[in-house]
Amino acid sequence: MIFNSIRWRMQLWHGLILVLVLGSFGLSAYQLARKDKLRQAEEEVKLCVAEAARPGLPPDRFRGAGRPEPLDGFGGGNRPEPNPDHFGEGSGPEPPGGFGGGDRPEPPPERFGGGGRGKKPPFERGFFREQISTNALRVVASKNNPTPAYYFIFWKEDGAVLASSTNAPPGIPRPTPLLGARPEPGRNNWGHAGPPPAKGFEVYSRTRAPLQEAYHFTPGGDCILVGRPLQPEYAALRQRALWLVAAGGAVLMCGLAGGMWVATRAIRPIEDISATAVKIAAGDLSQRIDTAGTDNELGHLAALLNATFARLETAFSQQARFTSDASHELRTPVTVILTQTQTALSRERPAADYRGALEACQRAAQRMRKLIESLLELARLDAGQEPLKQERFDLSRVVRDGVELVRPLAAEHGITIQCGLAPVECLGDSERLGQVVVNLLSNAIQFNRDQGEILISAASHERTAVLTVADHGLGIPAADLPHIFERFYRVDKSRSRLQGRSGLGLAICKAIVEAHGGSLEVASQEGQGSTFTVKLPIP
Amino acid sequence: MRVLVVEDEPDLLASVVNALREDGYAVDGAVDGEEGLYKAENYEYDAILLDIMLPKIDGWELLRRLRLRKKTPVLMLTARDAIRDRVRGLDSGADDYLVKPFDVDELLARVRALIRRSASEATSRIELGEVAIDTATRAVTRNGEPLMLTAREYSLVEYLALHRGKLVTRTTLYEHLFNEDDDTLSNLLDVHVSNIRKKLGHDFISTRRGHGYCVE
Repeated sequence: MIFNSIRWRMQLWHGLILVLVLGSFGLSAYQLARKDKLRQAEEEVKLCVAEAARPGLPPDRFRGAGRPEPLDGFGGGNRPEPNPDHFGEGSGPEPPGGFGGGDRPEPPPERFGGGGRGKKPPFERGFFREQISTNALRVVASKNNPTPAYYFIFWKEDGAVLASSTNAPPGIPRPTPLLGARPEPGRNNWGHAGPPPAKGFEVYSRTRAPLQEAYHFTPGGDCILVGRPLQPEYAALRQRALWLVAAGGAVLMCGLAGGMWVATRAIRPIEDISATAVKIAAGDLSQRIDTAGTDNELGHLAALLNATFARLETAFSQQARFTSDASHELRTPVTVILTQTQTALSRERPAADYRGALEACQRAAQRMRKLIESLLELARLDAGQEPLKQERFDLSRVVRDGVELVRPLAAEHGITIQCGLAPVECLGDSERLGQVVVNLLSNAIQFNRDQGEILISAASHERTAVLTVADHGLGIPAADLPHIFERFYRVDKSRSRLQGRSGLGLAICKAIVEAHGGSLEVASQEGQGSTFTVKLPIP
Repeated sequence: MRVLVVEDEPDLLASVVNALREDGYAVDGAVDGEEGLYKAENYEYDAILLDIMLPKIDGWELLRRLRLRKKTPVLMLTARDAIRDRVRGLDSGADDYLVKPFDVDELLARVRALIRRSASEATSRIELGEVAIDTATRAVTRNGEPLMLTAREYSLVEYLALHRGKLVTRTTLYEHLFNEDDDTLSNLLDVHVSNIRKKLGHDFISTRRGHGYCVE
C-alpha cells in the first residue's frame, strides 16, 4: 500500500498540518475582516443617527468625508451650539468626548439644558421633532447617492411613526429602550476608546440580518432609527472569503509540493539503503551502500550497516570456505577407501594384496577420525556448548606432562626440548591447555630442522601466565603469518597433509586459549624459527 | 597406452596406478607437481590424471606450464566440486574433470573416453576389415570370433588401431606401451607383433622396414 510508505505518511501529516494552519489563519483573517466591515457599517449608521439626532448643523459637515470628524461626541467641535437645551449644557469650551462632552458628572436626564449659561429655554418638543426629521431626511438623502440604501424612521414616544424615508422596509419594529447594549465601558458610541457617552446620549445599534440599524432615544422618548442593508458588506466578505480560499489553496499546493520535495530528498538515502539491503538479501553480499556525501544521521547509519555487511560477508565466506575445506579434507581419504576396495575386489588376489588394501583403508579411516574429532572439537568450542572446567592447576606441571608426551616424537627427529619452567598457578581446564601444549610442541617438532631444538618456558608476569614455545626451524613466510590460525590454512599446501595433520591444530589451540580469556600470538622469521606465545589471565 | 598419475596421497596414488595397470595401461606415478611436470614434459603419455592440491607445483600451474608445450589429454582429479573450480579446470586446458571421491570404474571409463577422443574416435568400437576391436570391453574379434590377446598384445593392437593409416615408429610404441620401470628390450616389440600376426592374420600389421608399423 502506497500510503504505508514513510514519504506518503510524511506528506499526509504535512498536508494535514498545513490545512490546519492555513484554515485557522484564513478563518481568523476572515473573522477579522468581517468584524471590521460590520463595525464600519455599524459606525456609519450610528454616525447617521448622531447626525440626524443633532439638529441644526450645516449638512455639508457630513458630506464628502466618509468619517465625520466629531466621532467622539454628539456635539462635536467648537461651533455655536444651536440647541443647547438638547445637547450639551457645557458648550462654552466644548469638552471632548461623550454625547456632548462626556467627562462631566452624569447629568440628570430631565436637565438637558443644563445650567451652563444660567438660562433655560423652553423645551420645544415639536421643534426638535421637526429638526430631527429634516436632519434625518437630509442625512439619508446625502448617503443615498448614488444608490438608495439608507433609510430612517422616527417614532414618537408612543410608538407612532412620525416620519420615515420612503425606502424604509415595512415592519421595522420599534426598539424598546434599554434593549440594545450600552457601549462598553471606556468606549464611546462608536466603539472607540474614549469617555462613554452621557446617559441619554447613547446611540445603540442592532443587527437584523441583513440589515444594520442604529437608533437613539431622545430625552423625550422619541426614537430615531437609521438603517441600511448589509448586502455590500456581505458581498465584499464573500469576495474576501473566496480570495482567502484561493490563496490558501495555492499556498497549500506550494506547501505540499515543497513537502514532497523535502520528503523525497530525505527518503532517498533510505531508499538507497533498502535497495542495497534487497540485493544483499538476494545473496550478493559484496554490495555496499554508497555513503559518499552523506555526513548525517543516515550517513552514519549507512556506514554502520556497511560495517555489518562487511562482517557478515567475511563470516559467510569463512563459513563457506570452512565447509568446503572440511569436505575437501574428507574426500581424499574416502577416495582412498573407495579405490583401494574397488581395485582389491575386482578380481581374486593374493592375501598380501588384500592386506595392503586394508592397511591403506585403515590409514584413511584414521585420518578421517582425526579430522572429525578436530572438527567436533572446534564446533564445541565455537558453540561454547561444553563449559570449560574451572580448576586451579600448575601450568608448569601441564607443560612438563606435554613435553613427556611428545618426547618420543622429538627423539625420532633428533630434536631436543629445553624447558624453562617456573610454577604458575592458573585457573581453567588443564586438560585442554595440555592439548594446546602438545599441539604447539608437535608443530615445533614438525617444522623444525633435524637435530634442532625447542625452547619451552612458562612464567607468570603481572597477573598473566606466559607460555612460549620457540623453535629454530623453518619459520613461517611473512605472507602466511596472518593466516596460520585460520582453519585448514597450510603454509605448504600439502606438506602437512602428508604428515597426517588436519590443518586445524592451531585453530583449535587459539579457540581453547581464547575460551580461557587469553591470547595466542606468533612471531616468526623465515629460516630462523617461530615463537608461539600463550598469555592467560591469572585470576 | 601410457598414463601418468600425479597425486600426493600415497595410498590413493598406489590404488589408482594399480587399477590402471590392471586395465592394461602402462602407468607412471608422480607424488608432487615438480616430478609430475618433469615426466609429463619428457615422456609421451596418452593421458594424464592430475590432482590439484599438490606440493611444490600445484595442479593449475602444472597444467598451465604443460599446455605451453604439449596437448596431452588431462583428467583433473580434485576434491573441490564447486562449479567455479570445474570451470577453471576446463578453461585452463583440462580435458575432463573428476571429483573425489570417485568410482574406479568411472575413472577407467573416463580415461578410455579421453584417449578415444584424442584419437578422434566417436565410439569404443573400431572395425578394420575382418577384425573388430571394442576398446570398452578390450575384446578383439575376427569374423565375429573372439580372440584371446595378452594385455600387452591388446595394447599394441589398440594403439595401432587408434592411429590407423599412420606410420607408428618403434620408439613411439615403446613410449606408449611400456612404463618407465619396464625393461625395453629391443626385440620385445617384435615378439608381440609376431604373436599378433599369428592371431589376426599376417597382413593386419604391415612393417615399414627401418621406420615402424602401420595398420590400414
